[in-house]
Amino acid sequence: MNSATRRVISVTSAITVMMLLIVLISGCSQATQGSAGGTQSKKLSETITVLAEKHPWTTAIQPYIPEFEKQTGIKVNLNILSEQQQRAKSLMTLQAKSPDIDVFMSLKSLEGLAYEKAGFYESLDKYIKDPTLTPADYKINDFMKGPYDGERIEGKLVGIPIIVEGPVIFYRKDLFAEYNIPIPKTLNDLVAAAKTVEQKSNGHVYGIALRGLPPAVCYDFGPFFHNMGLEWLDKNGSLNFDKPGAVTAINTYCTLAAKYGPPGAVNNNFYQDSSLFAQGKVAMELDSSNELASIIDPSNSKVIGKIGVFAIPAGPGGNHPTVLQWGISMSAYSQHKDAAWKFIRWATSPEMQLKLALKGIASPRASTWDNAKFKASLKSTVKKEWAKTLEFILKNGNPEVGPPAVKEAEVRQVIGNNIDQVILGSETPQAAANKIQQQAMEVIK
Amino acid sequence: MSAPSIKGGGVASYPRLRKVKRDDRITGFLMVSPAVVFTLAMIIFPIGYAVFLSVTKWAPGSSAIHFVGLNNFGRMLSDHVFWSSFRVTMILFVACLLIETIIGIYLGIFLSKDIPGQKVLQAVILIPSIIASVAIGMMWIQILDPTLGFANYLLSVVGLKPLAWLANPDTVLQSLIIIDVWQWSPFMALIITGGMRTLPSEPFEAAVIDGASKWQIFRFVTLPLLRPVVMVAVLLRSVDLVRFFDTVYIMTQGGPNNASMTLNVYSYLQGFNYMDMSYGSAIMLFLLLLVMLISLVITKLRGRTS
Repeated sequence: MNSATRRVISVTSAITVMMLLIVLISGCSQATQGSAGGTQSKKLSETITVLAEKHPWTTAIQPYIPEFEKQTGIKVNLNILSEQQQRAKSLMTLQAKSPDIDVFMSLKSLEGLAYEKAGFYESLDKYIKDPTLTPADYKINDFMKGPYDGERIEGKLVGIPIIVEGPVIFYRKDLFAEYNIPIPKTLNDLVAAAKTVEQKSNGHVYGIALRGLPPAVCYDFGPFFHNMGLEWLDKNGSLNFDKPGAVTAINTYCTLAAKYGPPGAVNNNFYQDSSLFAQGKVAMELDSSNELASIIDPSNSKVIGKIGVFAIPAGPGGNHPTVLQWGISMSAYSQHKDAAWKFIRWATSPEMQLKLALKGIASPRASTWDNAKFKASLKSTVKKEWAKTLEFILKNGNPEVGPPAVKEAEVRQVIGNNIDQVILGSETPQAAANKIQQQAMEVIK
Repeated sequence: MSAPSIKGGGVASYPRLRKVKRDDRITGFLMVSPAVVFTLAMIIFPIGYAVFLSVTKWAPGSSAIHFVGLNNFGRMLSDHVFWSSFRVTMILFVACLLIETIIGIYLGIFLSKDIPGQKVLQAVILIPSIIASVAIGMMWIQILDPTLGFANYLLSVVGLKPLAWLANPDTVLQSLIIIDVWQWSPFMALIITGGMRTLPSEPFEAAVIDGASKWQIFRFVTLPLLRPVVMVAVLLRSVDLVRFFDTVYIMTQGGPNNASMTLNVYSYLQGFNYMDMSYGSAIMLFLLLLVMLISLVITKLRGRTS
């Protein structure tokens, strides 16, 4: 190889590297231009990024987004990920204080406190109060108390609810009639009902399917705890698992799961619960109201036409169902806050929430439930009972799915693990309550 | 490389010589730069960042860099879930590797024979290894469901009592081992089949002439010749096994009661679910060391055999 060839090679490579660098740099500068937004181009083509989870709400609203883009001239970049990925992405992006996300779906009952303390949420109070940003026809007071309060963290409004759900009990009307079981009025009645089913069916049908997968337990177990008259935390922020009611709650839940539930309940989540119910293996399913869609799906359900719905019955401390709302929030680091608010306002307007409700999305707005068109859409008895139960949950619901903590997921895991120990028979309810009190407090403090 | 041809000589040519040498160096750097950049960006940086995270406090909203020294590593020592995850990881690693190697060798030798339909058989057997693990997890959840699953139906047909499979702390690891063996033995077999086909036929012929039995041929001819290939398969599989994640995460999330929690799943939970990236990174670094150590041991063993 002579020096001339060598020179040619080195010059060519140098040019290539230079060109690569130029492309890189120009790419970066374009990006900064785009995000800084010249005042001129801002009105013409502003783009917001909405980070959403693969969720029925997202599927339902997606087709309407072009309407919003046409109305406002704001382009929406909808980024859809699965729940875990969506949470990981929002956490990483916000932690980096990156303006890449403008609006994101967020589960306040899980990450709300941690995100709020970290300063990730833009406060929406000022947008709501400003009549130029929020016209009166938005009807903020139309939102039901449970879900709306759930979007408020330490007094600050950090999101607007988009869909509500809560644990309800789906039951087999035919079996209840055959075995002469009345609709349970108390938690003890519920245990008795489950027992009757197992006895009278000679063990062919299990009493009740409920969640046992550790991180998912709190969602189903919460009402048992609250119905003993207990909040998760007392006034001093200490857990209430050292109260006698807690042991009763654990005992009731675990009796249902271990004695009258299907084998292997400790691994079950909504997916397994609904499969068991849809296949006719259990007489009751305690799970999310959202599960209605899968148990009345003709392609995998054998029990269509035999399903009824009732709320989790009361305990000695009253009836306090869990209400869970998903909300959309604005990133504190967004550089398109006005456009982001326009999107949030549009997506949660009374008109849009009615449109979504007609597609099966449970609305957090009271007006939707009173709407004649919506009522007319609930044709079957099961849908009517479902709507009635959800309304009850919305009005009486407790938005705390688990004990509010910065490390909420870890606290829920501790509770789930110990409840599973009782279901598996390796721990007494009393020992589980003691352990939860001690282990979870270590996480909370 | 040929020596550079330099015209002329003496003092006058020195600057030119230096220039050529410099050009040479620049060219060299430019040639390797893509690999260097890639290594820096994709390997060195993430590991460096994990080390950085593990000695600082990373919690949502914490912007100031707050050094905590070796606290996260100290926390591991007293964390019983960490130790049980370590134990579970090692049990899965040893059991799966052993069974998969044995089945892999057996299947591999079988597949290397020229039997009718061998190609089709090979393709069919390989299916489990090419399906996405998430799909495999979902499929096995259904098969192993205690009430609705096919596995318990089979047991009931032959008159055995149903099992809770993944839902019982005493059977969850065995269930995971069955699934992993089902999924990855064909992969081992494929590598070994490839190795079998490259073996010379003379030693086998010689053994037959010497009157060796089938077992003797296998034990004293096939196995020693195959050993380098088997070791490669073992090395590849080991690295994956120590990082056991996807099927566990899909099927049990480490439950019931942490009975199937592996180090990788635990680290993921700490980092992304409990939002403690620092502790998660510390566990990951431990896992990295473990993987390196195991690879080192296997590489050493491999070196000795060849």
